[in-house]
Amino acid sequence: MSKERVQTLLERAFPEAEELLVIDRGGGDHLEVRVTDTAFDGLSRVQQHKLVYEALDEPWKDGSIHELRINTKGTQA
Amino acid sequence: MINETTSYTEKIQEVIETADVALFMKGTPEAIMCGNSQRALGALRRAGAPITAVDVLLDMRIRQDLSALSGWPTIPQVFVKGELIGGADIVEDMERSGELEQTLVEKLGESYWDARGERTVTLTS
Repeated sequence: MSKERVQTLLERAFPEAEELLVIDRGGGDHLEVRVTDTAFDGLSRVQQHKLVYEALDEPWKDGSIHELRINTKGTQA
Repeated sequence: MINETTSYTEKIQEVIETADVALFMKGTPEAIMCGNSQRALGALRRAGAPITAVDVLLDMRIRQDLSALSGWPTIPQVFVKGELIGGADIVEDMERSGELEQTLVEKLGESYWDARGERTVTLTS
């Protein structure tokens, strides 16, 4: 259930994302997300991941996500 | 008498600001309590970093105060010269790309390797 919720929250935060993928790595609460978005251009990885954490603040705080792997990319190589 | 409202914020800040490399982890380097903490520690060890480790499991408030301060919700957290460089995923990525060593050289100097090792700081409120 939290996979779909995470997907929705990320789509809301990154509506223009070139890539947006949520992968269940086990049990529905070990997730991996991959996001490629212009919003990440020019940001450090820490700043990029913080944007993802912000988008997922709610499921993170209520414990629906136990573990999260984040892969972010800007659109400028 | 311990004041219940005392926070760890100042002590955390002091570690972040004074340690060359600060690692906030679950457990200690001798008794690691989480796979992700192990991953971050492993990358730092292989890069020869001088690590100052803090066990966040000693008190739940350490973790709360740390995340409030850093804006980063997960453990581990690695700081180099006061700056958050990331958690396990980023630090491992940086190791693979050579960026980790490069960052250590830039921030700590060419001879940082001489100071490699681990010490653990115990935070008390």
